[in-house]
Amino acid sequence: MNLDPSETQVLLRDTLRSFLANELPFDQVRACEKEGRADAELWGQLREHGWLATPFPSSLGGGGAGLVEAGLLVEELARRAAVVPIVEALSCGAALARCGGERGAELVRGLIEGAITPVPAVLESSDRFDAIAAEAAGDGSLRAEKYFVDYAGFATHHLVAARRGGETGLYLVDASHPAIKVEPHATIGRTPQAVVRYDAAPAERVAGEDGYDCLVQVARALCTVQIVASMQVSLDQTVAYTSVREQFGRPIGTFQAVQHHVANMATEVESVRLLAYEALDSLDRGSATAERIAIAKAAASRAVPEVTMLGHQLHGGQGYIEENDLYFFTLRGKDRSLAWGTADECLEIVAREIEKPTDWL
Amino acid sequence: MDFTWSAELIEFRDELTQVIQQWRTPELLKEYRENHGAAGPLISEFQAELNRRGWSRMCWPEEYGGRALNPLYQFVYVETMEYWGMPYGNLTYTSVAPALLEHASEEQKKEYLPGIWEGRLRFAIGYSEPNAGSDLASLRTRAVRDGDDWIIQGQKIWTSGAEVATHVWLAARTDPDAPRHQGISMIIVPVDAPGVTVRPLWTMSGVRTNETFYDNVRVPYSNLVGPLNGGWTIIMHALNHERVGLSTTGNLAVHFDDAVRYLREHRPEALADPHVRRRLAEIKLELLKHRALAIRNAVTIAGGGIKPQEASMTKIHGSELRYSLSNSLMDLLGRYGGLSRETGELAPAEGSFERTWRASPILRFGGGANELQRTIIATRGLGMPR
Repeated sequence: MNLDPSETQVLLRDTLRSFLANELPFDQVRACEKEGRADAELWGQLREHGWLATPFPSSLGGGGAGLVEAGLLVEELARRAAVVPIVEALSCGAALARCGGERGAELVRGLIEGAITPVPAVLESSDRFDAIAAEAAGDGSLRAEKYFVDYAGFATHHLVAARRGGETGLYLVDASHPAIKVEPHATIGRTPQAVVRYDAAPAERVAGEDGYDCLVQVARALCTVQIVASMQVSLDQTVAYTSVREQFGRPIGTFQAVQHHVANMATEVESVRLLAYEALDSLDRGSATAERIAIAKAAASRAVPEVTMLGHQLHGGQGYIEENDLYFFTLRGKDRSLAWGTADECLEIVAREIEKPTDWL
Repeated sequence: MDFTWSAELIEFRDELTQVIQQWRTPELLKEYRENHGAAGPLISEFQAELNRRGWSRMCWPEEYGGRALNPLYQFVYVETMEYWGMPYGNLTYTSVAPALLEHASEEQKKEYLPGIWEGRLRFAIGYSEPNAGSDLASLRTRAVRDGDDWIIQGQKIWTSGAEVATHVWLAARTDPDAPRHQGISMIIVPVDAPGVTVRPLWTMSGVRTNETFYDNVRVPYSNLVGPLNGGWTIIMHALNHERVGLSTTGNLAVHFDDAVRYLREHRPEALADPHVRRRLAEIKLELLKHRALAIRNAVTIAGGGIKPQEASMTKIHGSELRYSLSNSLMDLLGRYGGLSRETGELAPAEGSFERTWRASPILRFGGGANELQRTIIATRGLGMPR
């Protein structure tokens, strides 16, 4: 039991943190949001510096670290509201590395080296992970309509969840193929998202049911870390602001009504952070269960709107205007609370297994 | 990062659980309940078994008979005991003993520590007074030096367990002219000293607490623990440890397990209801959040430090969950949820949900009210201005 990041992990986190502090001004994020695009420049930098390689085995040209380290990177990027498909690409990579065999390994090398940027295309109009209806035909073509595909237009490839012979698997589709239509959505998170239509697009089967499961679990756990980052920034900014903002002749942070809201925010952040990294650690150790990952995501999804709205309450009008950076974290946090399983969906997973004995230690 | 328990700790937990299963008879639980923590014959035997196995002081330094094991062993010990509702010394063990180990003189350690681990000595906590609750530093019970003795005059309240304790762990004012945090000392007072009176106060949980009166009580000067007028630091240290013992996941999680078992055996149609399962899932979510906070705090303490904000977060979350969990379980059970133990077999899980519900206020305001804990998180944890 050691809940703190190791020296190597701290180094990794701090290096990316200072890089982003220097290289990613919030105005660059604002420009991406306004133009509805991903941050291609930052994505290129992340690859050049080797950060995308971090969680993959060294035999594939990766950094030999794990998903905990991936989580640290995701958290730093989310703390700067970076508009890059980090969760999407890394979860594709994890599924391919673990369940994709030789072809998967080759694709992970491609992700690390810059040949491809894959993103998952999973949900359909039903918005349910357990109701994938898209069929991959025996001749290698795919007809499907995929909803809520994050960074669909930026990716070079889509990893599409589809069925063949009763099994849900992952199918690789070249996103530049003319049989693919991408229709952007406007969303609360203000990051690129789309409905994608595949009209007999060539699709290559790269993983089976285990790959699909792995993709969802890893993405869900990494998405939980994005939420942690949103809450943490909201908390940090609120502490800073209320400590200097004066009313009635004193900093409002001296009022207990304010302090107690902040204490509640901090308690939520702390508990959800622990659950998030515990989920990633269990994935690295091969001891993960869908139920525990769902618990972490449900806790995060519940907490983030509460925490960020308290942040707004304590900032007043200053936090409500878009000149302030606070809104990034409120909106991204809510968006992420819906992504990869809402609190309700995740609690449903927990409810299904409610009779299973729990080791409470 | 490593979120897993070592094989040794799991092995220890499993062995402890086995021993508990052997000793956890209805008769022992009845004795525990009725004696309010005092060591009756069965509890004394159980305590002797724990001692024989070297568990009751395993984390203490070797010079005091301990094995200097990682304090996570104590966390596992307390969690497991609390899950099964077994006696292990409780506050004397989790709060007073660590304070003595840290602050007492060698003579005092030799005098008190063996009795604590053997279960012979039981301490009641004497901090609060009728007019010194949350504002503890305003306490007025006086201790005046008279040659080789202290003479103590005053009153304490919420002296829980004093009726079965051997000693009171008493905070007294020893310098009325000093700034109020700097005039308090810790003094050990035998409950049977002439002039100590214990008056019961019965709570709505069915558990007794007390007020205690000190009328010219004479105790040796050497019962002073730690520096003269240095009591405040010791109290804060002990309170942080106490908050760990008051905030286990085990004694909350057992209600969840009991509820699932009860529903499976008596109300299978309710357990099949998605609405019921969903409410249970929400309880489980909160229990696992609590577990995370409790482990975080324990790991910090095991690393040799204490972060007051972590102890406070754990204390707040655990005490509020005690209410919300028992409240939800009672709601799920409908009118059955209101049946008390005295009803007999019809009461779900021996009426433990309604009993815990009745007992849920205490930890929210006791051990430092949650409002104070929130202020600690904000000011000491996050550095907000005072």
